[in-house]
Amino acid sequence: MPRKTQNWSIKTIVTVAIAVVSISFTLIVSAILFSEFSSTVKDNATVSTREIVRQINANLSFYINDITSISGYARDLAKQVSSLGKEDVEDKLKTILSSRQDIVSVVLFDLEGNALLSTSEAPFRKPDEITGQQWFTRGVGGKGNFYFTGPHVQQLSKSAYPWVITYSQQISYSISEEETAQGLLLIDMNFSAVSELAKNAKLGSTGYVYFIDNNNKIVYHPLQQLINSNIINEDIDAVAEHIFGTFTNTFEGRERLVIIDTVNNARWRIVGVAFMDELMSGLTQFTIVMAVILFLCIVITIFLARYVSGWISRPIKDLERLMVAVERGDFSEPPTVKGNQEVQALSQSFSLMILRIRELMDDIVKSQELKRKFELDALQAKINPHFLYNTLDSVVWMAEQNDTVGVIRMISALAKLFRISISKGRDIITIGEELEHARNYLIIQQIRYHGKFEFSIDVEDGLEDCPTIKLIVQPIVENAIYHGIKYLQEMGNITIKAYRRKPGAIVLEIRDNGVGMGEEILTKILSFKGNHSSKEGGIGVRNVHQRVQLYYGSDFGLEISSELDVGTLVRIVIPEGQPIHPIKVVQK
Amino acid sequence: MTRRQISMVLIILLVIGLLGGCTRRDEKQDPYRIAVITMMQGGEFWGALKNGARNARTETGAVLEFMAPINESDYEGQIAYVEEAIAQRFDAIVLAPSHTTRLEDVVEQARSKGIKVVLADTRLEKSKGDLFITADYFQVGLEMAEHAFSLFEEGEPIKALVLGSIPNSTSMTSVVSGLVTAFNAQDGAEIAYATYSFTDEAIAKKITEEILDSDEGVNLIFALEENTAHGVVNALPEGRKIRLIAFGTTQFEVQLLEERVIDALVVINNFNLGYRSVKAAIDLLKNNRPTEKMVEHALVTKDSMFSEEHERLLFQTIQ
Repeated sequence: MPRKTQNWSIKTIVTVAIAVVSISFTLIVSAILFSEFSSTVKDNATVSTREIVRQINANLSFYINDITSISGYARDLAKQVSSLGKEDVEDKLKTILSSRQDIVSVVLFDLEGNALLSTSEAPFRKPDEITGQQWFTRGVGGKGNFYFTGPHVQQLSKSAYPWVITYSQQISYSISEEETAQGLLLIDMNFSAVSELAKNAKLGSTGYVYFIDNNNKIVYHPLQQLINSNIINEDIDAVAEHIFGTFTNTFEGRERLVIIDTVNNARWRIVGVAFMDELMSGLTQFTIVMAVILFLCIVITIFLARYVSGWISRPIKDLERLMVAVERGDFSEPPTVKGNQEVQALSQSFSLMILRIRELMDDIVKSQELKRKFELDALQAKINPHFLYNTLDSVVWMAEQNDTVGVIRMISALAKLFRISISKGRDIITIGEELEHARNYLIIQQIRYHGKFEFSIDVEDGLEDCPTIKLIVQPIVENAIYHGIKYLQEMGNITIKAYRRKPGAIVLEIRDNGVGMGEEILTKILSFKGNHSSKEGGIGVRNVHQRVQLYYGSDFGLEISSELDVGTLVRIVIPEGQPIHPIKVVQK
Repeated sequence: MTRRQISMVLIILLVIGLLGGCTRRDEKQDPYRIAVITMMQGGEFWGALKNGARNARTETGAVLEFMAPINESDYEGQIAYVEEAIAQRFDAIVLAPSHTTRLEDVVEQARSKGIKVVLADTRLEKSKGDLFITADYFQVGLEMAEHAFSLFEEGEPIKALVLGSIPNSTSMTSVVSGLVTAFNAQDGAEIAYATYSFTDEAIAKKITEEILDSDEGVNLIFALEENTAHGVVNALPEGRKIRLIAFGTTQFEVQLLEERVIDALVVINNFNLGYRSVKAAIDLLKNNRPTEKMVEHALVTKDSMFSEEHERLLFQTIQ
């Protein structure tokens, strides 16, 4: 396919393909039909025209035979002139004429031009005027053959100038019983019979038939007056070239079908002229109907092609839209596209793929959560062992001293500590519980360190029931004791506060008056990276920070400030959530 | 298919239907009506013109109505016929005006009403109508004169009488000016008398008799109309050789031509004139360009009268 079309949509390609194929098919079929039909029409027109011409020719031959039989009768009478008498013969001839409209006169001249027998009463011209005329000279030299002359203006008498066709023939007539002499028989015919034969012949709507003689002079033409008046011309030259048969030519801007036939017994030819545009008028109508149908076909084809291509390409478009949505990360839509088989298969594969991707993504989320939980668990788990050992060691020591009250205080504090620390496996507890956990831890440590420090816990109203991840305060307090207060000569002090910080955050603040940290250590701790020795007290801080960030995101975490010999301030920043219920402890 | 596409298809079908329905004026149902107004009723000259017009009618299917006053000089009658043609709302008028100025108003009136006016044979002084079809009458005058001169011996004085039909027709004035031009160029030839017969045979006979009686020198007569020619022939005295050249194709004239009483006949192809006038009127109505061509004429003598060419012109009517 050429490069240009590569950018076309399927719809366009299918439309164009269907349209091109069906339109060219339609055109080819139309062209074949048209050429077949037109050649058939032409053949039929030619055949029927030829048939008409042949029919007229047959009639004309019949008419000429009729005239020759009259001349034969006249010849017979001429031989009986001496026996029957002139009047009697003329009467017989007049009887024939009275029954004929087409015969003007029958005359017998002697070879000097004197009229011997005549059916007309008009006086004749002088003999020398008669003998000079063409029909006379032709007949006299004709050895008994007959001739048709004309049409011409007859000049037999001075009183009339009729247009006639003249039949002339040299015959012999009887002078007496024994003697015969040569004379010239004339039969003048008007055009009524000939025109009757030809004028009703309509070839097409204005086609016509005419006769010419052997000199290519028109004998009869239905449009004779127009020809005489030089209004129309007849294509005599082409007819002179084609003696016989059928041909087509263009004359004065119109294509004509010309059929020429020879007429028996007269040296005439009959010429039929039909105009092609009229013969083919049926074809014109056919062409118009054809063109309209063709046009409609093409229009319908184009619409159909558009419809079909739309039907084919719509599922693909839908699929494409779906893919774009998936591309943008929208996996929610169930990827089912209705359509043809291929597209359905494609859609199915695609939906399977999407399901698989969704599963994989779910798996990833789950494994990530799992991983985080393991990490959290691991971090929480780090708190316990040393502390428990030391605490139990202290309890043993107090028991040895018989300090029952102390043992009881310690053990009950330890119990509360563990209860909250376990908290039925939940990760989220209330701030109240978290601070209670810190308090119990501090109580235990206070006992262990023999009042080496004192502490206070202060919670803003309404924060006790706010949720927090558990065990985040205790590690900081532990650090304050082990790395701040422990090395202090005077009385240590740990203050824990919980308050709101706008917008929507809660700060758990742990302040001590311990030895504090140098700049270097603080920077290290603040980077929350790498492994610190437990002596530096970084592990707990880092754990808390990571847990807060894992759970609440990077906007939250730890803020630490410290100064050597002044103390350390740690703020744990968490988001403010909806209050929750503390864990109900079953009192035994 | 969307609603838009359906409406598109419907529109296309509608357009096709409209195109199919829009056909031209059906001339079979509503043929053109044309009034043919000649100078007078009867006569070979106008007969041939009407014959030609009828042939055009047969060919085109137009409806023709022939109107003419009884006398050629009756231009008032012609005006009335043109007015009638206007009133009857003919599509076109073929008119041979018998007065060069008096018919101008009524012709303009017809044209202003959208009627096509074809002037045949003669024209108006200021107007040629929508089309003017005529023969080259000036040339006819020249040829008549030249033929007349050829009939006389060299140096023989020629004194001519010109007898026209009506004074106010351009065909007459053109012929006369052709004659005058030729006579002016010919030594010893003069047109001594020029007058009009108003197509009246009796008037023509009377004028001819009077002039021939009073002037022995007149030896040539031009009769520019057939009735006039008949009158002139009847007035010709025995035993005095007077040459006669006449317009017309009447049987009487043809016989006189054969008998050499008339030396030459001027034949205008009036069949052609009538035919082409009607055809031109229809062409104008159809907004086609009509052919502009002079109507042919011929000077027929006894020697040429049965030649193929002149035979056709002289004996135009075929049974």
